[in-house]
Amino acid sequence: MSEVQFKGYAITDASLWTQFSIVEYQPKNFDDNDVEVAIAYCGVCGSDVHTITEGWGKIPTPLVVGHEITGKVTRVGANVKQFKVGDRVGVGAQIGSCYKCRACTNEQENYCPNKIDTYNDHYPDGVFAQGGYSTAIRANQQFVFPIPENLPLKYASSMLCAGLTVFSPLKRHGCGPGKKVGVIGIGGLGHYAVLFAKAMGAEVYAFTHSTRKVDDIKKMGADHVVVTGTNPDFAKPLHMMLDLIVCTVDVGTDMPLADYLSTLWVHGKFVMVGLPDEPLPQMKAFDFLCGAFLGGSHIGNKVEAVEMLQLAASKGIRPWIEELPMSKAGEAVQRVKKGDVRYRFVLKQDIAPIDIE
Amino acid sequence: MSQVQFRGYAITDPKKWSDFSIIDIKPKTFEETDVEIAITHCGVCGSDVHMITQGWGEAPFPLVVGHEIVGKVTRVGSQVKEFKVGDRAGVGAQVASCYECRACKSDNENYCPKSLSTYADKYPDGVVTQGGYSTAIRAHEQFVFPIPEALESRYAASMLCAGLTVFSPLKRNGAGPGKKVGIVGIGGLGHYAIMFAKAMGAEVYAFTHDKSKVEDIKKMGADHKGDFAKELAHSLDLIVSTRDVAEGMPLQQYLSMLWVHGRFVTVGLPDKPLPQLTAFDLNPNGCFLGSSHIGSKKEAIEMLQLAADKDIKPWYAELPMKDVQQAVERLKRNDVRYRFILTQDIA
Repeated sequence: MSEVQFKGYAITDASLWTQFSIVEYQPKNFDDNDVEVAIAYCGVCGSDVHTITEGWGKIPTPLVVGHEITGKVTRVGANVKQFKVGDRVGVGAQIGSCYKCRACTNEQENYCPNKIDTYNDHYPDGVFAQGGYSTAIRANQQFVFPIPENLPLKYASSMLCAGLTVFSPLKRHGCGPGKKVGVIGIGGLGHYAVLFAKAMGAEVYAFTHSTRKVDDIKKMGADHVVVTGTNPDFAKPLHMMLDLIVCTVDVGTDMPLADYLSTLWVHGKFVMVGLPDEPLPQMKAFDFLCGAFLGGSHIGNKVEAVEMLQLAASKGIRPWIEELPMSKAGEAVQRVKKGDVRYRFVLKQDIAPIDIE
Repeated sequence: MSQVQFRGYAITDPKKWSDFSIIDIKPKTFEETDVEIAITHCGVCGSDVHMITQGWGEAPFPLVVGHEIVGKVTRVGSQVKEFKVGDRAGVGAQVASCYECRACKSDNENYCPKSLSTYADKYPDGVVTQGGYSTAIRAHEQFVFPIPEALESRYAASMLCAGLTVFSPLKRNGAGPGKKVGIVGIGGLGHYAIMFAKAMGAEVYAFTHDKSKVEDIKKMGADHKGDFAKELAHSLDLIVSTRDVAEGMPLQQYLSMLWVHGRFVTVGLPDKPLPQLTAFDLNPNGCFLGSSHIGSKKEAIEMLQLAADKDIKPWYAELPMKDVQQAVERLKRNDVRYRFILTQDIA
């Protein structure tokens, strides 16, 4: 039996969303399918900010966010075969599903209508799910991912939401050799999309609003960088050229969506992984007459998570991260809100000691 | 040299959108790649009404509409391989493209950025394209479709826009055995969508608020639903929407009926914008929203053959072309089961 304590940096007053205080909380009731993880690192996701600012709706408090979690296994249930104590593992943005519906039995657990989010959600027995700005977490083994040996935990962390959320649509919608893939918005998710799309063999067009990030984006490996903010005609030279676009921007109504659709080849797809607070631009049926599709995507499944981590390990893919102690979560979320990060914060857990790299 | 005269029923005054009068038409300047057709039948399409009412924007006048055309070939250019004088042939909603771009070279000529519509468009030499409520038309061979022996002209006509416009997305998005397909709006296009989707082997759900169509829908082979069905949440592979009205459209609910990565393709082109969506309407099932533009010649031929083989006929009402005013006015009111076909009566 492990001696793990469950404590985390929580928001206790939603009107003071940058002020975290350490709270103790009740974890998931341990069952035979669960894995318990002592947390080493947790990435800071835009979702964390959307949640604590109540951009996505009112929140209960105290609330511990964070869903890009890596650490070491401290306990496994009797039915867990894949993991043993001491293994290096991660947990992403989903912590449960129903395990029996058509989605769950077809490797689409990320689309289960009864899925449970890693934080700000409830288990069927009523326990509130608290996230990874904390010392430990428990999750069903389906939602625990093995981290390859040669991939340091601090790099793997932010792959578990940001990375997976772009890897899944890239993979599912054909990113690979011979394909032209657009990435809109080069932040936490967007920079991963550039790195992964290149690793998968595609020709990458990165769309960014200003010139601020252009040099970095070229170093990330993008074949083309299109600056959109100062150029209203940016889409014209790209007419009907791209096979797939993954859009990560946190912008809704102000996005030139019709222009982006016009850059897609026949039946090309624009996949929106950004989840802005406000709606998307209103469209006419005519905007889609080029045959392009507008769609969404929700994280990825475990098979994709494992494949992505293997790809990162084998190709030496490293995110551009800035590490902070977890006690500085307040500073991290403020800077994410302003877009002031190159390109992901990773918080190092500092509440309880942990024997890790 | 044929003696064909080009005359048609035109709208001459945009303020009187259903007042037709016969005018002489200046036809396409004949080229060696062209086929000339003496028209026997032309279907009446919702597009015709959108155009003459200027719901889709300003139109040039005088305007002869109609793009579901069947007739007999009267003349062929020296480079025409597929047709000879006397053949039965048809023309749909497109009459030209550039023939050399990536789209044109990949059986996607219906997506060529330089495509020309059968009416209200302009050839590079300035001639305005005029449609099939007329005696004759000329078109490049690529946009002329052979009509199978076993398929009567009056049946084939409305397949050339209504039929093709739904057949193409059904085919391209995988309608077939083991698939569940929803069709929204059971009118000219929608009723073809049911019949083709059934013929392609899919399980078909028809969505309409019009209870008077329920018996017909069952005869066409579909399971009828109202505007939306909660019990179908997360289960349809494809929805083809022919709905012509954007106001009050329950788009989010339609999207919620799609299985993971299912597609909602609107071939209906309402005048007004679609309901505004959020990213959260798309990510619970990773679904896709798109449209589709007619179909390729390859698909037109496949569709006509399928119709001939499986004895697919439209549900239609036939009128002499001189009664075109009645046809367009009734179509505007949705008072047709399910397509008007006009029989050419000028020459």
